[in-house]
Amino acid sequence: MLGWEFPPFISGGLGVHCYELSRKLANLGLEIDFFMPATGECSVQEYPNLRIIQVCKTELQPYYNYTKSQKPGAPRKVRFNRLTDAAYIYNRELEEMVARYHKERKYSLLHGHDWLTVQGGIALKHRLGLPLVQTFHSTEYDRTSNPFGYIVDIEKAGLYHADRVITVSNRTKHRLIAMGCPEYKIRVIYNGVDWEKFEKKCIAGPSAEKQGAAQQAGKKAKQPYFQRKRKIVLFLGRITEQKGPVNFLLAAKRVVEKYPDVLFLVAGTGDLLPTMINLSISLGLASNVMFLGRISEEDSRRIYAIADLYVMPSMSEPFGITALEALSSATPIMISKTSGVSEVVRTAVKVDFWDIDGMANKMIAILKFDTLRKAMSAHGTTEAKRLTWDKTAQSTLMVYHELVGYGNF
Amino acid sequence: MGAMKICMYFQVHQPLRLANFSVFANGSEPLLKTYFDEGLNRQIMEKVAEKCYLPANRLMLELLEKHPDFRVSYSITGVFLEQCRQFTPDVFASFQDLYRTGRVELLSETYYHSLSSLFQNKLEFVHQVEKHKDAISQIGRTGRVFRNTETIFSNEIAFMAGSLGYTGILSEGLSSVLGWRSPNYLYNVAGAGGVKAFLRNYQLSDDVGYRFSSKSWNEYPLTASKYSNWLAHTSGDVLNIFMDYETFGEHHWKDTGIFEFLRHLPAEVSRHGNLEFSTPTLAAEATSAKGEIDVPYPISWADAERDTSAWLGNEMQRECFSLLQSLESQVKESGDDELLHAWRMLQNSDHLYYLSTKSLSDQDVHNYFSPYESPFDAYMNFMNILQDFKGRLEAKGAESGRIGVE
Repeated sequence: MLGWEFPPFISGGLGVHCYELSRKLANLGLEIDFFMPATGECSVQEYPNLRIIQVCKTELQPYYNYTKSQKPGAPRKVRFNRLTDAAYIYNRELEEMVARYHKERKYSLLHGHDWLTVQGGIALKHRLGLPLVQTFHSTEYDRTSNPFGYIVDIEKAGLYHADRVITVSNRTKHRLIAMGCPEYKIRVIYNGVDWEKFEKKCIAGPSAEKQGAAQQAGKKAKQPYFQRKRKIVLFLGRITEQKGPVNFLLAAKRVVEKYPDVLFLVAGTGDLLPTMINLSISLGLASNVMFLGRISEEDSRRIYAIADLYVMPSMSEPFGITALEALSSATPIMISKTSGVSEVVRTAVKVDFWDIDGMANKMIAILKFDTLRKAMSAHGTTEAKRLTWDKTAQSTLMVYHELVGYGNF
Repeated sequence: MGAMKICMYFQVHQPLRLANFSVFANGSEPLLKTYFDEGLNRQIMEKVAEKCYLPANRLMLELLEKHPDFRVSYSITGVFLEQCRQFTPDVFASFQDLYRTGRVELLSETYYHSLSSLFQNKLEFVHQVEKHKDAISQIGRTGRVFRNTETIFSNEIAFMAGSLGYTGILSEGLSSVLGWRSPNYLYNVAGAGGVKAFLRNYQLSDDVGYRFSSKSWNEYPLTASKYSNWLAHTSGDVLNIFMDYETFGEHHWKDTGIFEFLRHLPAEVSRHGNLEFSTPTLAAEATSAKGEIDVPYPISWADAERDTSAWLGNEMQRECFSLLQSLESQVKESGDDELLHAWRMLQNSDHLYYLSTKSLSDQDVHNYFSPYESPFDAYMNFMNILQDFKGRLEAKGAESGRIGVE
């Protein structure tokens, strides 16, 4: 398995996917060597059958800058060359290292993730004569509205050389076909969610006890000040054009006109953050919108749990794991029809990202009708429990079997 | 012993679908236009007329003219009639033609295809049955048999039908009600006086209604001669074959051969000396009940559960239903005909049916029939409309109260 990010250093769906997939595949009895850039430290404990191998240490700086700024926006002109250079160097190192390990480990199959490992994957496929599976969690077209030709070319090369291409939704599948990938190569495998991690009662655990104790002592439990009496609508994701944060604010404006006691939380950061802050002020929403910036996983769990509604108004979303996380936390979700996750989830209100009034209309209804929220929570958690990473891993294993045959692992 | 009577009965209904209601609407449009999507309703009515009602009625007329022993029954809702007259007058006329043959029975039901039989106060139910009888008289006179919305049935409903003068009532031949007994006889109903229950033979009905075009069914393809053979080898007094009329051309498309099946059915049935076509009213006169059934809780023909859970199975549905019910006295006191009509149109059981969350656990017919993306979308829209309606009603009440004071 050729990766780029792995916990604790993750900036999106790719890291979560790699972590959960390798872990579950290892559970299924596969031996996996996961190659990734050296992070200096690795908090992920190794599972039996799963080895994490760090490739090179020195060239990582650009990656961190890249991660911190989340995604290219204004600063990308400067960083971009450094990122592509780093990717190139990493792939060279990766190739050498995997080839060296292969002598001893005798790999059966290579599996790369996104464009970042494509070059190494292709080189290794031909050098070692191994089948190559390439997963695309997103394409350059999903990440930015002015795609960088160099990366698109790498992606196209990946589609050409890979023996099987895995992608996370039918939506991305069609994009890959449009990029020239023959349909027979593509398998759609949806992401899952580790629902236990986001289950409300686990998170509320210690604090709920505290609240109970406080109530027994006759004191009113202390809630965060912003939470009191107000309904909370949550946006969580990179603040960039593709995720639709501007439409979120415009809809918020419409909601507040009819239903003033709502707080809109915007978690995450990105190139549009300054625009968003200015917009919230010019719309007169300063007291209804709160920006949380980049938040930890721990905080994200808390924030899902207190939200009355999670909104993902993305214009383009290959999958959208956060929607499943919110669902696991028994929070009703509103997702755009142009997201991969809307292909699998039924307990969701699906909207057109451009239909501001339609979104606002439905947000109000969800906030207003308690019965609806209860029903959505109940069905949502049941559904989240069905969308496991085990399923993802099993489907991935089937793809491996297509290439290597049974009994070769 | 006489021949076994075959009662074929078809439900004819199209819901009045709700408009996509926005809380940002300014309220300048007339009430019915704001709540109901005229364009969509017209479009669906015209589509189904083309695929089902017109060709099916044409064929039925042909069969009735050709076979003097052939009889059928229809249950046509008021909501359907209203749309039919407005959007597809030729369908309306073709039903009149069918009635004129004298061998078509029209069944009674609630005008609004509502769950008013389950209201606490039964006066609304009685009113809707009367209103249906009035409306259907444009086509012909109803017989003396009642069929409640989606065959929702209980001892109490049977009793009400009896008190309204009906001799028979249609229901579902549930084995949990019948036990070892066969649905192919008429039964008295506990505490309901002399009214006779007709129980649907769901096996034989669903062979046509559901399974006809299913290639994975081991009896596929079903021919008229095979089917009439099955009928002839069934024992009993009255065989009740009930289904949606849309079975012909809409649930099963024309190319499945469903019309050809129907075309040959009367001739094939008449080859068997022990079978004859009848209608519920005739059968109720000629046949005596063979026992008594006891149905304390309402049953229906819907879903696997065959109870009222298709409409009242979850919290969202019960909340909407109780809100609707709670508005009754206010609506009636307002004396506003437009509000009253809208309130009754909102009682359409279909609005509640779309809120069912059963479709979330398995793909079923709720999805097939629903114009919504999910039950949650359906709830939001329906509840928004109900809230808007309640708001208008209160505004109206405040207004008239003020006038009263002056």
